[in-house]
Amino acid sequence: MRKIVGEARLLLIGIPVFLWTAIPLYHMMLFALSPKEAAFKGKLWPDNPTLRNFELVFGQKHYYLNNLWHQMWNSLIIALAVGLLTLFVATAAAFAISRLRVRGGRIIMNMALLTYFVPAAFLALPMYKAMATYGLLNTQWALILAMVTIATPYAIWVLKQAADKLPLELDEAAIVDGATAPQLFRHVFVPLMAPSMVAVGTYALLLAWNEYLYAFLLLSRDVDTTLAVALGAFLSADDSPWELLMTTGVIYALPPAAIYYTFRRYMAADLTSGSVKT
Amino acid sequence: MTTAANTAPIVSAAASPKKDDGGWQWWGTLLVAPYLVVFVVFVLYPVGYGFWLGHNIESYVEIFHDPIFLRAAVNTVLFLLIAVNLKMFVALLLSGFFAIPRWWIRILGLLFILPWAVPSIPTILSFRFMLNPEWGVINQLYFNLTFEDGPNWLNDPILAMSLAMVVHIWKSLPFWTLILLAGRLAIAKELYEAASIDGASNAQKFAHITWPSMRQLYVTCTILSMFFTLGDFNSVYLLTGGGPADLTHVLATLGIRYIRLDRVDLAMASIMCALPVMLPMMVYMMRRLSK
Amino acid sequence: MKRILAYAAAAGILAAAAMPATAQEKLEVWWVKGFYKAEDDALFEAIRKFEGKTGVKVELSQYAIQDMIPKTVAALDARTVPDVAYADVYDFQVTSKWAFEGRLEDISSVITPMLNTFAPNTVETTLLWNDAAKKRAYYAFPLKQQTMHVQYWRDLLTQSGFKESDIPKNWAEYWSFWCDKVQPGYRRATGTRGFAIGQPMGVDSSDSFYSFLTFMDAYGVKLVDDDGKLLVDQPNVRQGLISALTDYTAPYAKGCVPPSATSWKDPDNNVAFHNRTNVMTHNATISIAAKWLDDMNNASLTAEQRAEAKKHYEENIATAGFPNRPNGQPMVYRAAVKTGVVFSEARNKNRAKEFVAFLLQEENLTPYVEGALGRWFPVTKNAQQAAFWRADKHRQAVQAQFAAGTVPFEFTKNWKFTILNNENVWAKAMNRVASEKWAVDRAVDEMIARIKQVAG
Repeated sequence: MRKIVGEARLLLIGIPVFLWTAIPLYHMMLFALSPKEAAFKGKLWPDNPTLRNFELVFGQKHYYLNNLWHQMWNSLIIALAVGLLTLFVATAAAFAISRLRVRGGRIIMNMALLTYFVPAAFLALPMYKAMATYGLLNTQWALILAMVTIATPYAIWVLKQAADKLPLELDEAAIVDGATAPQLFRHVFVPLMAPSMVAVGTYALLLAWNEYLYAFLLLSRDVDTTLAVALGAFLSADDSPWELLMTTGVIYALPPAAIYYTFRRYMAADLTSGSVKT
Repeated sequence: MTTAANTAPIVSAAASPKKDDGGWQWWGTLLVAPYLVVFVVFVLYPVGYGFWLGHNIESYVEIFHDPIFLRAAVNTVLFLLIAVNLKMFVALLLSGFFAIPRWWIRILGLLFILPWAVPSIPTILSFRFMLNPEWGVINQLYFNLTFEDGPNWLNDPILAMSLAMVVHIWKSLPFWTLILLAGRLAIAKELYEAASIDGASNAQKFAHITWPSMRQLYVTCTILSMFFTLGDFNSVYLLTGGGPADLTHVLATLGIRYIRLDRVDLAMASIMCALPVMLPMMVYMMRRLSK
Repeated sequence: MKRILAYAAAAGILAAAAMPATAQEKLEVWWVKGFYKAEDDALFEAIRKFEGKTGVKVELSQYAIQDMIPKTVAALDARTVPDVAYADVYDFQVTSKWAFEGRLEDISSVITPMLNTFAPNTVETTLLWNDAAKKRAYYAFPLKQQTMHVQYWRDLLTQSGFKESDIPKNWAEYWSFWCDKVQPGYRRATGTRGFAIGQPMGVDSSDSFYSFLTFMDAYGVKLVDDDGKLLVDQPNVRQGLISALTDYTAPYAKGCVPPSATSWKDPDNNVAFHNRTNVMTHNATISIAAKWLDDMNNASLTAEQRAEAKKHYEENIATAGFPNRPNGQPMVYRAAVKTGVVFSEARNKNRAKEFVAFLLQEENLTPYVEGALGRWFPVTKNAQQAAFWRADKHRQAVQAQFAAGTVPFEFTKNWKFTILNNENVWAKAMNRVASEKWAVDRAVDEMIARIKQVAG
């Protein structure tokens, strides 16, 4: 009896949590599965659900969707580039600071922290200006480098936290064997740090995939922009194809969800313990 | 907060003659160089430029005479205080819920993280469509049940601001819950077992074991979340766009409004105004985190 | 550490210096994204021809309508401007301001030779004052224009128990007819929560100020004289504004306007009309009807949807003008001439002017304007008389409204009105009355104070 009461009490929390999470997502799905007329009727379930919206979106059959696949591809390429570059920069720095004890490491960590605290939205316009100065404006490099800048501080922080936890004996053993710094990096550091590196790479990748403001400012041509910007532009289509907007939104939300679930094991443990010291 | 890094240096100078031959320092320098380049080129220069853009005193005089700016400043403060604290408090409670070992809670946890993992644009627009007073699903339901027109959700500044907070919480609650959950799971089980033997109630366990070990983490997370929330452009921009009548702007969206008005100087000045508030918090956090 | 920083800085400078080298001559063009494929296809075609003729590579970037201004402002700030830029909202919000600040190139050399091809009250609006050079010249090019129309559902009117001939011609009766007669009839007949009038009132919308200023015109209010001097201190101006704002907000107070109208953005009155939340709405283009024309020829829709769209366009939707003014005179509409610009900091000004001249030629401009399916009206005499404008009832109505003569916006005489439109003092006053329950005269006084503060 007590067990049942306990379970019921848990369900009292669980059900609201489930509804709270699911309703907006369900509503998105609902729009995507409704014919246009039904989408604006406020039904909880469409009378005749249809996959026609997906067909229209996949076939790029709306004027605002002409470059859908191209933009999807852009989103992917940019996100991958940001993930890899962030990983490279942050891993190298974390290794140098944590294991090689490079002079000025403390200062660099503090710089990273400071950057980490500056809200990204505040840097948008100065970043635009900087990219203009470097002649990168309206190229995908502008967005990639901007996102790397935003993702790196956190990445360095997480990786350094993780690196500090590695047992010292390994390094010492390697040094006694006469290992050089690159060998130490390759044979000791990277294998042990792999889970954290996966987590950081995934984090940067998701950040870039989901970014709207920077993508909107830094990219120009229809064939260069990411899907996020295309979705924003969709809002000004005056035939209000909201059902197609939501359909595209669902498609756009699937990859990050898939990526997250794939690497979930690493994400939880590393990002969280690294983001704040425990 | 216990410092995870052992204070012993990696290699004591005596133990390793290698350390003095410069090879390590040389490699170290080479490996931090990429980050330094990123920092100088994409942080220092833009920030310096931002300062230069916002250096004009007249801009500040002008924004302080702009009622929209003052309103946005108040909104921002309220947003930070209410939304962040509410979110962290709920995250603390939920982290306890998700720590309970049940198969269905594990599955719920998987679903729960989705709002954080998926992009803002479609999900926030989904909120916006739900809230549409004429054809949104909420008011349609309301009408079917009561034959009354439902509330005009996004047209009342207070209601709209509250809903923007709801959206913000919906989006970022999972992340912080996850972090606090990790903090909870790090607490030694023996403590709880010992407390159970002494016949402590759940409330007592929380007060004497959980909270003391989580307090540091909780405060750190709250301040961090405030920094992130300060830059939360999407929740407000995509839900209300600053409307009705520009009464629901926050500092993060005000910049875009001034840009639309062709006033880049005001955009920068409005952001610079957040500095006096941010700097002490930043310094405090740096001290806290880089012990 | 110092040494490292020095290296990093050097690397940064190197990266900055590595500008991409170009071989072919380039022209950078920013253009608003069209609403219909036909529109943009016409633009692409003109660009293709221009490239063929000159050997210049045109780099075209297109943005959504609400994104054009932030993008251009950021570019101006970073001094990386496109050579030629056009957006549907430049004229309302920035063109005359940029001209005043000396940010635009004088393109009189392009416009002057063509002067006699333009219809009255079109090209005059691009003759602007440059306060840096202290001269008045053509600082923008006119591309197309728009004015205010009324659209209503004939079938919903019938359902409500009325005929088109029942629609009154006089001002007060007209608005009361929709609100007090059609709406109750419509609700009774359908059992839905329909509303009679789609009255745009959002601050973040150009529809709201366009509609309000049309109401103001109905009361014969003039805010500025021809030299751009403010007239708001005249008692009859204040009285006219009070009458206009009273009439504009009354339907909302009576519950004849969808509650969300106070936060509508530009597409929202279209949305509410299309999904039959509204029986009628006023809109500054016939985009509402044109959408169904586009749908009826859209191959990706089903046959039923196309048939329905055809029925809507040809039978169910009506395009009309406003009722007579309160003084009994027929309405004189305000037209907004859509302007594009060449920036004074453009890298390739000569080619930019060449491109503008090329685009403004009849054979390039007309397909572009007509590609919008009647949404935009031409600025050249010839194109206004084209058969296209006699093809159906909607276009005939548009042509008739323009033929009766139009008046320009205030900002063509005093550039500071672009700021007022941009801030949308008009919609703010509406919101004071509709949402905050202020008295109309108090809201008008606040509005007048702001107008004097900005444009005085």
